Amino acid sequence: MLVSWNWLKEYVKIPVSHEELTSRLMFAGLNHESTATVGDDLCIDLEITSNRPDCLGHIGIAREAAVLLQLPLDIPQPKLPAGKGSVNELAKVTVECPDLCQRYTARVIRGVKIKPSPKWLADRLQTIGCAVINNVVDITNYVLMENGQPLHAFDLKHFAKQQIIVRRAKKNEQFAAIDHKTYTLDESMCVIADAEKAVALAGVMGGADSEVSGTTTDLLIESADFDQLTTRTTSRRLALRSPSSYRFERGVDPEGIDWASRRCCELILELAGGELAEGMIDVGSPIAKPPRIVLRLSQLPRILGIEVPPAEVLRILQALGCEAKSAAAEKIEVLAPTWRRDLTREIDLVEEVARVHGYDKIPEDVGVPMAPSHRSDADRVLAKTRQVLMAAGFDEAMTRSIVSEEWSAAFSPWTQVPPLVATTPMVKGEDRVRRSLIPSLLGAKRINESIANETCELFETARIYLPHPPRLPNEQWSLGMVSGRDFYQVKGTLENLLDALHIADKLQLAPTKQPLLEDTISAELRLADTLLGYIGKISARGLKQFGLRGETFVAEVDLRVLLASSQLVPHFSELSPFPAMTRDLNLIVDEAIRWADLAATVHASAGSQLERVTYLETYRDAKKDGADKKRLIFSMTLRSPDRTMTSDEADAARDRVVVACREKHQAVLLG
Amino acid sequence: MHLAEFLAEVQTLLNDATTAFGGASSADALEAARIEFLGAKGGRLKEFQKSLGKVEGADKPAAGKHFNEAKQQIEAAFAAAKERSSGGATTAKSKDAVQFDPTLPGKRQRLGRLHPISQTIDELKDIMGRLGFSVADGPEIEDDYHNFEALNIPRSHPARDPLDNFYLHTAGLTADSGVKTEPLLLRSQTSTVQIRVMETKPPPVRVISIGRVYRPDAPDATHYPMFHQIEGLLIDTKVTMADLKSTLRLFAQSYLGVDVHVRFRPSFFPFTEPSVEVDMQWGERWIEFGGAGMVDPNVLRAVGYDPEKVSGFAFGLGVERLCMRRHRVTDIREFYKNDVRFLEQF
Repeated sequence: MLVSWNWLKEYVKIPVSHEELTSRLMFAGLNHESTATVGDDLCIDLEITSNRPDCLGHIGIAREAAVLLQLPLDIPQPKLPAGKGSVNELAKVTVECPDLCQRYTARVIRGVKIKPSPKWLADRLQTIGCAVINNVVDITNYVLMENGQPLHAFDLKHFAKQQIIVRRAKKNEQFAAIDHKTYTLDESMCVIADAEKAVALAGVMGGADSEVSGTTTDLLIESADFDQLTTRTTSRRLALRSPSSYRFERGVDPEGIDWASRRCCELILELAGGELAEGMIDVGSPIAKPPRIVLRLSQLPRILGIEVPPAEVLRILQALGCEAKSAAAEKIEVLAPTWRRDLTREIDLVEEVARVHGYDKIPEDVGVPMAPSHRSDADRVLAKTRQVLMAAGFDEAMTRSIVSEEWSAAFSPWTQVPPLVATTPMVKGEDRVRRSLIPSLLGAKRINESIANETCELFETARIYLPHPPRLPNEQWSLGMVSGRDFYQVKGTLENLLDALHIADKLQLAPTKQPLLEDTISAELRLADTLLGYIGKISARGLKQFGLRGETFVAEVDLRVLLASSQLVPHFSELSPFPAMTRDLNLIVDEAIRWADLAATVHASAGSQLERVTYLETYRDAKKDGADKKRLIFSMTLRSPDRTMTSDEADAARDRVVVACREKHQAVLLG
Repeated sequence: MHLAEFLAEVQTLLNDATTAFGGASSADALEAARIEFLGAKGGRLKEFQKSLGKVEGADKPAAGKHFNEAKQQIEAAFAAAKERSSGGATTAKSKDAVQFDPTLPGKRQRLGRLHPISQTIDELKDIMGRLGFSVADGPEIEDDYHNFEALNIPRSHPARDPLDNFYLHTAGLTADSGVKTEPLLLRSQTSTVQIRVMETKPPPVRVISIGRVYRPDAPDATHYPMFHQIEGLLIDTKVTMADLKSTLRLFAQSYLGVDVHVRFRPSFFPFTEPSVEVDMQWGERWIEFGGAGMVDPNVLRAVGYDPEKVSGFAFGLGVERLCMRRHRVTDIREFYKNDVRFLEQF
């Protein structure tokens, strides 16, 4: 809301500087954006919250100033002559859609002379950046900016048969607006029409045909109340915003409709001459009486934490325009003014008293009682996850939750249900709510490759959204990783994570077929038969799809599965004070033998003194061992809880392992 | 022998000796220099001492004084040279001393970095935890009831405009497919979590919720269609705006590490009444901290609380804004580009 400083002072004799006033207004709810000098006036830009349409006119701002400065407010009372010839014989108004137009009033003035506005009027409008057109149009704008009620002056001769019909637009009805553009309307919109065509888009903009021009002599002055929601959707759908639509969207003062009409006619008669027709056309429901609100004074300290003297409470409410009187037992009975339709409840009055009395009176150093706070297990798992990933050299990424259709389709191992789609794209071309973190991370890697960042190791912990219609989607809390190192580095980091969370279950890997991954170098991850996630190398096709150059490995893990099997408070177990012995083994096996199977045999056969098995390496020597053979080299650590092991015991354990591996895996001990 | 002549020779001896000791690059060279100048037999110092006798009688005390000074300086120069090569008592070790370059870079592990938004969130969680607020969690995809209705945002409210929200539908699921779907949307504020917490738990409530929220803003330096909010909620029998102001001041003080003040400016949010904007002092300036207010009685009633018995406050802050200000990030889009050079700055 742009405010003229000189104009404002017509309603309240402001004894303080504009800086002082804007500061006071700011602490009462009207944020000061800026002040600019225009001629000998100031244009003050104030931000008005959507609940305060009463401040979308100079009188509303003046009222706030008067309340804050404790000064009287002087509002002009328009006086009109009785008029000649009944208005009802000059025009007829029909409202066909009372749901879109609660009230429609019209006055008629005949024989006006259109000419430029006098300087004082032009100055007022120019200060607040409003175009100066001619005396009649300028007056409607002036009154709009005075009390916030939009008005429209029609050239009466353009109404076929002097018929004014307020109706819904027809589907695909064409409308040429004052801005000389043509708009296509639909049935959700409200128009002002004559017997033949639409002459104005209700509450938004007038029509090019009926605008007041130099040849206009007879006027119809419209002052109405159009539906808030309809005005807003119409204005947004057509991308057509105006000071009128802005105010109707927020709601106008029902009592202000008539005041604005009279004020407008008074100024037209004064500045453009002409003769007023007798009476006013008034179609619509009567003004609803404001509700009676009881303010219990005890509610002020209960909500605000401070006492406000009852006399001050009464003064504030009355100055704001409320009918307020002290009732028995610490209560004030209040009828809010019609321009404050935001005041319907006791709590609304508490806020009014607080903001005018001043929030600076509320202390900032009361003793807030202490309370315990609990750190959730999910938070602990998250912290551990981040620690492990950081230590493993991964940077944390954050990517958008919505991706393109192509990315969404590229990788979705968790669900085959189609993704949720946003009605508005998040950024251009991206409207699918993601079902995996992997495509987003591959996109992040591409950005890094494109700026030649040598190393790009990224992880993200975020939700993926697995649709479950008609219920809310399953928001799966996930860890995604992308790496340029190798499969075992990524797997090793996940193993570290399992360790850090003290998860007893073994990580199991099973073959998987994913369009983005290489079949041989990928796996489904399971933990105690629960699906944990996926790991793999991006296939050549996948690299091409994401525009990647370097070898790329990915993993995605369901963090809730980790949470469920984590042991966040590990327990101490007794440590053996006796030294360990190690035995290294070098076994020749078929290529098809998997380490996990061999290791299981070692564990099963070595005996209770086996502390751990450490894989060392795989070695191939086709000449010595034959084709399709490999050597698995590993080390066993053995320890007894109650005595020092002997060399013979360790050898016996090794021999048992060798026999078991020979029987189960046809393994041959080397050397 | 004249005194001047004697003094000149003392000076020459001193210069030669200090040059020789200073230039000795090995223990052997230093030993050779020692023998040349300080040798008990035939050392130049010893030899020169004999010249003292040739100085004329009256000048003898002055000549002796200068000789002694020079002798001390030569001995000190030798000691210093020996000190320099100490630890290099043998030839092999002194070779190490030359080859070992402690100024070469250390061997570093590549450590990852936490995203600056995560770091900010961790700090905020930590502070609020110390103030007695536990973290509560809720879905990011919400129904109309939790995102609007329970938060006192009526059907006609502009906040519900389809152009201001990410409404969702299931791909391929048409109206006539038989599955009736309620409109879903990506939450536009974390206040939805308040409702979910209060629905499941009687008062008192003292929680924060932190997470992603979504609004269809075109990305620019200060806007992004996805960002993070932290929201606090305290409901109890005697909670006032003074508690709100004091809690936010404690929060600001903890975050900035100095004694600061907070102030309220009236504002409007559907789910709080009274509603305020909160500013905190940052150096000389007041900067916007976030929005806050007393929980609206309609919200309390929607979750089955009695607004006559309990009251409470709520506040919400934008994480990106705090993070940008703290780390002097000038463009919000940097956070979501994931350029590792950016991530490694934090």
